[in-house]
Amino acid sequence: MNSYKLSFTAFILILTLFSCSEDYLEKTDPNRLVSDNFYETEEQVAQALNGVYSQLQGIVSSQWQYNEFITDNTTLHFNVANRGQGPALEAIEFWQINSNTPNITNLYNSIYGAMVNINTTLARLQEATFDENAVREFEGQLKFMRAYYYFHLVQYFGDVIMITEPLASPDEAWEFERQPVETVYELILSDLDDAVSFLPASYPDDETGRVTKGAALSLLGKVYLTRKEYSQAVDVLTEVTTLGYELLPDYADVFDPDNKNHAESVFSVQFQGGNELGEHSSFIYTFAPRESVGAVIDFPGQNGGGWNTPSLDMINAYEEGDLRKEVSLKEGYTSLEGEWVPIPYINKYNHPHAIRGRTDDNWPVIRYADVLLMLAEAINEVSGPGDAYQYLNPVRERAGLAPLSGLSQEAFQEAVMKERRVELAFENHRWFDLKRTMTPEELADFMNAYGEVEKSQPTTDRGGIPFSAGDFRFEPYEALFPIPNDEILINSNLTQNPGY
Amino acid sequence: MKKANHKTFLRMLRLLSGCLIMQLFAFHLLYASDGQEQDDQSVYDIKISLKKERYRLADVLSEIEAKTDFSFTYDDSKVRLNSTIWLEKKEGSLGDILIELSKLEDIKFKRIGRSIHITRKIAAEEPVEEQAAIVKPMLLVSGQVTASADGGELPGVNVLVKGTNIGTVTDIEGRYSINVPDPNDTLMFSSIGFAIQEVPIRGRSTVDVALLEDVQSLSEVVVVGYGSMRKADITNAVSVVDMEKIGERPASNMTTLLQGQAPGVVVKQNTGTPGEELEVNVRGISSLGAGSDPLYVIDGFAVGNSVGQYLNPADIESITVLKDAASTAIYGARGSNGVVLITTKSAKEEKVNLSFNALYGVQNIPDSRRTEMMNGPEFAQLKKEAFMDRIRYYEGREPALEEVPLSIRFPEQTEHSTDWLDEILNQNASFQNYNLTMSGGKGAVKSVLSLGYLNQEGAVIETGFDRYNIRANLMGDINPNISMGWNIAGAFTQEEYANTTGRDAIIGSALWADPRYPVYNEDGTLNPYIGGTDGVFGTPNPVMELKEMQRDRNNTNILSNGYVDFRFLKDFSFRSSVNVGLTNVRQKEFRPSYLAGRGFNNPPPREAWLNEFYSELINLSTDQLLSYDKTLGDHNISAMLGFSAQEETFRTISSRGEEFPDDVVRTLSAAARVNSTSEEQGWSLLAYFARLNYSFQDKYLMSATFRREGSSRFGANNKWGNFPAVSAGWRISEEPFLQNSLIIEDLKLRASWGVTGNNNIGNYTSLSTMNPANYILGGNFASGQVLAAFANADLGWEQSNQLNIGMDLSLFQNQLMFTAEYYQKITNDMLLPIEIPVISGFQTTFSNIGKVENTGVEFALGYQTSINELNLRADFNISFNRNKVLEILGENDEIRNGGFYSTYNVSVPGRPIGMFHGFRMLGIFDTEQEIDNAPTQDGAIPGVYIYEDTNGDGVISYDTQDMVEIGNPHPDFVWGLTLGADYKNFDINVLVTGAQNYDLFRNIEATTLNMDGVFNILKEGENRWRSAENPGNGWIPTTNTWKWQRESNSRYVYDGSHAWIRNVSIGYTIPSFNNSRVFLSADNLLLISQYPGNNPDVNQRGGINPGFDDETYPVPNTFSLGAKINF
Repeated sequence: MNSYKLSFTAFILILTLFSCSEDYLEKTDPNRLVSDNFYETEEQVAQALNGVYSQLQGIVSSQWQYNEFITDNTTLHFNVANRGQGPALEAIEFWQINSNTPNITNLYNSIYGAMVNINTTLARLQEATFDENAVREFEGQLKFMRAYYYFHLVQYFGDVIMITEPLASPDEAWEFERQPVETVYELILSDLDDAVSFLPASYPDDETGRVTKGAALSLLGKVYLTRKEYSQAVDVLTEVTTLGYELLPDYADVFDPDNKNHAESVFSVQFQGGNELGEHSSFIYTFAPRESVGAVIDFPGQNGGGWNTPSLDMINAYEEGDLRKEVSLKEGYTSLEGEWVPIPYINKYNHPHAIRGRTDDNWPVIRYADVLLMLAEAINEVSGPGDAYQYLNPVRERAGLAPLSGLSQEAFQEAVMKERRVELAFENHRWFDLKRTMTPEELADFMNAYGEVEKSQPTTDRGGIPFSAGDFRFEPYEALFPIPNDEILINSNLTQNPGY
Repeated sequence: MKKANHKTFLRMLRLLSGCLIMQLFAFHLLYASDGQEQDDQSVYDIKISLKKERYRLADVLSEIEAKTDFSFTYDDSKVRLNSTIWLEKKEGSLGDILIELSKLEDIKFKRIGRSIHITRKIAAEEPVEEQAAIVKPMLLVSGQVTASADGGELPGVNVLVKGTNIGTVTDIEGRYSINVPDPNDTLMFSSIGFAIQEVPIRGRSTVDVALLEDVQSLSEVVVVGYGSMRKADITNAVSVVDMEKIGERPASNMTTLLQGQAPGVVVKQNTGTPGEELEVNVRGISSLGAGSDPLYVIDGFAVGNSVGQYLNPADIESITVLKDAASTAIYGARGSNGVVLITTKSAKEEKVNLSFNALYGVQNIPDSRRTEMMNGPEFAQLKKEAFMDRIRYYEGREPALEEVPLSIRFPEQTEHSTDWLDEILNQNASFQNYNLTMSGGKGAVKSVLSLGYLNQEGAVIETGFDRYNIRANLMGDINPNISMGWNIAGAFTQEEYANTTGRDAIIGSALWADPRYPVYNEDGTLNPYIGGTDGVFGTPNPVMELKEMQRDRNNTNILSNGYVDFRFLKDFSFRSSVNVGLTNVRQKEFRPSYLAGRGFNNPPPREAWLNEFYSELINLSTDQLLSYDKTLGDHNISAMLGFSAQEETFRTISSRGEEFPDDVVRTLSAAARVNSTSEEQGWSLLAYFARLNYSFQDKYLMSATFRREGSSRFGANNKWGNFPAVSAGWRISEEPFLQNSLIIEDLKLRASWGVTGNNNIGNYTSLSTMNPANYILGGNFASGQVLAAFANADLGWEQSNQLNIGMDLSLFQNQLMFTAEYYQKITNDMLLPIEIPVISGFQTTFSNIGKVENTGVEFALGYQTSINELNLRADFNISFNRNKVLEILGENDEIRNGGFYSTYNVSVPGRPIGMFHGFRMLGIFDTEQEIDNAPTQDGAIPGVYIYEDTNGDGVISYDTQDMVEIGNPHPDFVWGLTLGADYKNFDINVLVTGAQNYDLFRNIEATTLNMDGVFNILKEGENRWRSAENPGNGWIPTTNTWKWQRESNSRYVYDGSHAWIRNVSIGYTIPSFNNSRVFLSADNLLLISQYPGNNPDVNQRGGINPGFDDETYPVPNTFSLGAKINF
């Protein structure tokens, strides 16, 4: 039975050939790193930190909705034809926000999405075996970021969940409740204290863009100011003035991408256009008028998004002769056919760029002008305008305006707020400035007054479509955003802000 | 057994299971009608020398038939033709050999004349019995028996004089002659695989008969997972698609062939895109996260959850659909959505056969299935009226004609009127299909070689599909114990495609584009930009976009399987097989600068861009199967042990080029800026499995399978899963009290239960991966990483438990067949992205949660009969499936997909998957007063929809809070009906499919009835609301606003119930030309439905979001003419 033997041998042979080991089932993702063995070397932690900075790019790029668009500074280029943004973006502009408004949910999600990377990196840093100075520098930057985000969260939402450690498993995510604003501020202050002591005043050239001691002090000053702890604010902000920052002589240079990270920049989010790296910004593409067809953004056929359009109220806020107005905004544009189209747009972030859609503009988070105005505001609160003029007037003088003098404490405060509005226009300060200086009731009166103006004379044509009865009606409870409804549905420990 | 020229698949099957089978009724004796030399000799006097020692029973019988003048008859339910036997002596008297066979297989032989009948041996009976032939000549009747389907001659047909035991068998040419006692007798013709036919002689001396095929015969061998079984032995829910009954369908994808064929198998043609694979669903949507597509297995090779576009339908010999868990559990973690087993044509021992098939057809979109929009003057009139109505409402005055913009002031003077949909349709688009098949096998190697070419022009201009197929299926015996086989198939497809699905794509924009613009400028060039005036959205000219935008896809596929079969010891065999699948896709899209931009209001010129994409898929698997087959008296055991390993790797490269100096050179090298990415994915699985089948007296049937499978896709703690299944059957018809029933041919009750899985969760879901998130530091690129997901080492298997109870009934000599099934399938531990508090850093994480139930009943009824020369058959199947989500995470949890302006498909516990959610539309506001009295609808004006305040808070808030269930996309039942008739050389086949009582969300109407004048609208829009006095048809809102019209609401929900005549084929067979055949076929002939869209099968979102229609590529009907020529 020769053939029998042959087949049996072949059978055994094939069995041996195909007997696979368990390794056969081990497949890891060839396209990505796996976190289990990350965060170990200095280089890896640096990469994780870069990831944290990277997430800030996305967050500041959509922050205009929550800090400018919602306020009296900007409105929208009303899209008569395409009403598709009704429940999302337009709900913010017209104060029709509710707990299902998707862009509020996006805001909440994106901040906690960044927090997990901060907390994970901080936790893994505790076991770090590399250079101690490097560890402290990393820790300082991460704590600044955490403070920055929690400071935003409390201002947007009030009481929020405070999470400072990475979760071991998803189940733990249900164990958290909202913490009082005061408790969150304790964390913010302690993180910023660490940041101030761990961070260097500057970095080598190849690391420009990281947060510095100056940035941490400035943010700390803003936190004190917000908490009306004016003398502490004066102390830390005064310390910033010793760090070598100065106002640039020409306001336009402040935003020029050829002049990034200049002496006036305390902290900006870094972007880079002109290449394939994917680190570009594109602010003007959102802000330019919708049907400008290449007349504003210099590419054939290029339209803008028509969002964050300067309101007539904002345009009128500039004093006669203010050099900043032409830099910050345009009241219209000349179409390619040569016609004047009176649709205003933000011009601060409009610079020539080589590749369509990829601008080179950085986003200013803290400028020295902001620091000076905060200091002026704080000193005025502590001791009246006397010592405060020296910080307010340089900002006015650069703008080609006469210095102020002889104001009452209250008038000075008003002047500072007015100055902040135009100096820091469209840099995402307005909502917090309003909230900081007004009670919710005052804020509601203020907003409703603006709403009446905008309703009676809309900045852009509405094509005959009237406002809905609920548009531009601000109630005091709206000073806080709603906690996203999804979160409350998932986690019954969460409470909603009153009114929503 | 005599070799014969069998042409059809059916008779090949019959050959497989032992051909020339005479089906004798238990008490009939057969008398041979004429005698020859061997009639006088005893079987002990006839010497015979066989070739080998080891045989299948069928093979030894056919060798004896070849070497002597005897032929064997037997009832194949009593005789195990596939048993392996091992002869001690291969030479000797025929009698001795029969005695030995008798011992080995427990059978006895009864010889009458030249026939030897085989039956089951009972106890001490004589193994071989001889009886002299009795010949009483009276009236000699002769004739020829052919198959009705193709006129082929039928050898081995049992011819019996009714009421007597006089009979004979047809010869190799299907001829017979028989002496009958009385000229008024009736002849009965029977043969396995054919329906019994009775023909009165009426004194004729020549009686020719065409037999009607009876494919549902119990002896039919059905392909099942890792093997095959006699249909009679099956205890699971298995449907066999009868390739013969499908008719002449111009099918560019094999999935078309499944339409309407099997109960519980729902096949939807979502769009009319040439070459497209249809959506196949077996027994409902069972998974919320891992897809519900069945597993496709081609010649034993599990190719995945898509069969792709490369398989040539002409190469398919049979399709089996495994539906219950007991039949699919052998495929473990890929079995829970059913398994479609495709077997390609295999080589048969027969003479060389060459056939050529050709089909040519034309495709059209009938007027009745086109969406009718306003023409130029009508649209201008609408714009004019809208302009004036707006002044009337908002300013409360009558406008002067002079106020109306000039462009719409005189609608009747509108210069152009373009029907954009008509302009992009390619009427009389051709469909061509040619196949050349050669098969043969005289000697060691048998082969089937086939060549195929298919060309389908699209029903939309500038689209189309070409496919070139080549296949070689080879098999051969190396020695009596080792055989080998090898299939290799290559396919190359070329597709010219377009972005056609959805409002923002070609078809949608052809509906809403401004009809007042011409296709061509006066100088004959294409007009690039349509609309953009009077507030109408500007869009690219759809004709120009189709013509000028380059979109090509080439797909190269090689599919190959090889196996070696070893037979050893007495009852064992071992098969080792290796499968390889290679697929390369190359895709190129170039958008020249002179085309307007997609979206709204993007006039040309734009920047040209180029996308090039290349992918390769390598799928390797190997199966080792050890089988054991044994009959011991009344006990029949077959067992199988198997091992399988499979690995798939998928790699892609995609590049985008921008900044082209011109539109002429369209390669990446011409682009000033190129951005490229590449990616690689892979998975692997290992499985050990076993099956045991046991039957007692062919009456009590039992089967059990078990599979243990490991997969790279699951968490480290849960890599392996177990998938057991059991089934049992009772053939009541084999019990003594029914055995002699003249009515009941077969009655079987069966039940099964099993566990299956679904591993379609992506490849690296259990890992905590990181994503690159980079930054700029010091003006330089700084690489960064962020967390992408939680790790979940416990991530495990989605499991389905399925219970199936079935009954098979066959009456009146298989003229009427009935199958009923009940099933309950519960899917647990689904792999779902569950929502977690975002404070964790993530919005979702994968987890094993959720429970979905599908229960249903299925019925299949087949009937066939002959009235003289007219043969009729009808097959009807109907299935009722009820789908319900039992559990997601918590009580309030839901899975919601879609959008505010395009409806939501929502899955919540207690309701079926993917129900439509939206506002409930109650009517239209006629007056301000009505608005004031109704719950607040901020921004409502007379003429907008009234929505229901479902949460009773007095406000219809502009979000999802008042949205409720507004439609159910799941049909109450679906059905398929196949009718066939033959008369002489003519035959006709009709296929009808239908679905009853389900909803479709016709989303395109949120655009085509968007009244604020930015789109062209439906002709029906003439009946819109204009004022309280002129409210139109109460169904279409005012032109005065945009709000409270387009939100997801019940207004856009339509009943999709339909009956669809899928195919009518009429054929004529030319017996004088080797039974070649010509036919006419009408495909998708007639749709009977109230649904206003083109296609009630539409399912644009797919998966757990069924029933969404935003206008897709229309489904054409096809009229074709074809021929099958045999040489």
